[in-house]
Amino acid sequence: MAGYMIDARHIIKRFYVGEPNELEILHGMDFKIPTGQFVSIVGQSGSGKSTLMNIIGALDRPTEGEYFLNGTNVGLANDKELSEIRNRHIGFVFQNFNLISRTSALKNVELPMMYAGVSAADRKRHALELLELVEMSDRASHMPNELSGGQKQRIAIARAMANDPAIILADEPTGALDSRTGRMVMDLFHKLHREQGKTIVLITHNGELAAETERIITISDGNIISDSLPPEAAQGAQSTQDKQEQAVQNEQTQETAAQGAQPRNEAEAVLSRKEVG
Amino acid sequence: MGLWENIMLAIAGLKANKMRSLLTMLGIIIGISSVITISTLGAIMESSVKGIFSSVGGANMVGFGIHMKEDAQRDYYLDEDFITFEMVDEVGEHFSEDIKALSLYSGSQQGTVTIRRKEYDAQVYGVNGGYMLTNSSPVVAGRNISDKDCDRGSTVCLISQGQAKKLYGSTRTAIGKSLTVLIQGRMFEFTVVGIYEYKLPAMLSSFIDLDSWNSEVYIPYTTYVRMLDASEDFYSFSVLTNEDVDADAFCREVTDYLNNSHYRDNDAIEVYYQTAQSQMDMISEILGVLSLAISVIAGISLLVGGIGVMNIMLVSVTERTREIGVRKALGAPNSAIRTQFVTESVIICLIGGTIGIVVGILMGNVAGLIIGTMAAPSIGSIFLAVGFSMAIGIFFGYYPANKAAKLDPIEALRYE
Repeated sequence: MAGYMIDARHIIKRFYVGEPNELEILHGMDFKIPTGQFVSIVGQSGSGKSTLMNIIGALDRPTEGEYFLNGTNVGLANDKELSEIRNRHIGFVFQNFNLISRTSALKNVELPMMYAGVSAADRKRHALELLELVEMSDRASHMPNELSGGQKQRIAIARAMANDPAIILADEPTGALDSRTGRMVMDLFHKLHREQGKTIVLITHNGELAAETERIITISDGNIISDSLPPEAAQGAQSTQDKQEQAVQNEQTQETAAQGAQPRNEAEAVLSRKEVG
Repeated sequence: MGLWENIMLAIAGLKANKMRSLLTMLGIIIGISSVITISTLGAIMESSVKGIFSSVGGANMVGFGIHMKEDAQRDYYLDEDFITFEMVDEVGEHFSEDIKALSLYSGSQQGTVTIRRKEYDAQVYGVNGGYMLTNSSPVVAGRNISDKDCDRGSTVCLISQGQAKKLYGSTRTAIGKSLTVLIQGRMFEFTVVGIYEYKLPAMLSSFIDLDSWNSEVYIPYTTYVRMLDASEDFYSFSVLTNEDVDADAFCREVTDYLNNSHYRDNDAIEVYYQTAQSQMDMISEILGVLSLAISVIAGISLLVGGIGVMNIMLVSVTERTREIGVRKALGAPNSAIRTQFVTESVIICLIGGTIGIVVGILMGNVAGLIIGTMAAPSIGSIFLAVGFSMAIGIFFGYYPANKAAKLDPIEALRYE
């Protein structure tokens, strides 16, 4: 399983279980996302996209099937463990930013670290580094209502990065932005992917944005109807690995080095794809 | 997430809604300030009661009077019911070893003092020398009314220091001067033989100008009775016992003596007694009822205040549903959300409680101003008030906080 950040096995999600109006939203999804991949999940509204995102983001548990996030079986976690998974392994970026009002940009970025129990001094230092990364250092003390949409989203991305999560889960991150600021936000994601080797899951209905990513999973009516990985499977995974090797050279960080053992993933990725088909 | 961060977070939240926070606190403020007011008043009463006890007489002052028996056959007094001077004299002789002073009072009349075209109203009292001893108005110059004055019905009088200064320039020069008083349209002339120091009851001292209240003239009770055709008999008399005498035992003996020797055949009237202690008990009984009433008000306002806090916290939770969702998405465990909201509720109550303590001390001391003593409430009651505010905050804050903690993050994030 090593090397797969997300390993979803026949995920079924039903609502109102046991009631007359029982509703099955996800009908059994199988997919694997290797570490360091920039993948987009595309679907129209009502396709089960949000439900899938909630499960990937450990906000919800699948009714049936297994979901492994970075090796942890999320389906078996209790509420407290779920919140810990969200805190340590997932960085959320929302369409409407969801910064906490009346709380400065800096404090917003500090928030996930606060829940992780990081000391005040370390928190502040790291939050400032992250603001530097998203080029918002000069807005550290600003309140959310003093910031533009693009600025808010960059703060939100810095916040998502706070605990150095395994994946960044972005739900229509450019949906509330004009095309120019949306472009800046997308560039930021590319930068995080390229330079830090982050696994990024982008949920969108915008085909153009999805086309920028390495892999497109399209869902409709609770099923995966297409996955762009198979045709370019080898190339896709290869390019991911190339980028990571580049990152290793650039940054010489331990994490990216640990992601070096990619080749095994290709086979498994192909395998999982076959099951879906 | 530390306690300090939660506190700062709560204060920031309250600042954002200042008016609402203040209104929410109102019930707590009223409740806590009532509690502290009672406590302050209690402390004031205690110190002023101690003052009374330590003043002249204190526990050694006892009073005797007549009242209707429980099984009285009539509801009016007859001439022969009253305490006569002979009876008092008998008591004086019979219990002479126990008695320091016997105080007699025949009555009082409004009069007008006129001297060299100066005129002012004065209350004229018919008393004996013992009255001055027991009434904490010590004679500071000249002499007291003597038994001889009373036997003869001499036309002597005692005036206050204030009067002496006003009428004659000084206390020294006043002795031996004559004083003309108009009572019920008739002129009476008295010789000033002594000056007493006027002491206002503590309760009034801070409000009333001393000069207007020290216009009391004391004359021998026999003189009073003769001049004004007043009754020779008494409703009551007081005794200052020697210090080593047990006031209660003494009172029982005197009461029994009088009832056996003079009221045995009386079908409706008997002698009863009052000690300083029994008066004290009466005061504290009244105080107790008052405290209970205020405590009930305090209890109700704390309950209503607490419910108000709960209500506002529920509103706050609803308003901040989305924020709660975001916090949960960022990894806040339920316990952190719960702590955040309980802290906010406790902070509201603590700030309200603190304001209540300050208001309570102020109100208590305003009341103390009327009584004439200032006091601070006991440290214990302040701790109790602070502790109680916290308890209200936790009790009424827990339900909304728990509701917030249990919110489904997905629902909360979707909340508009």
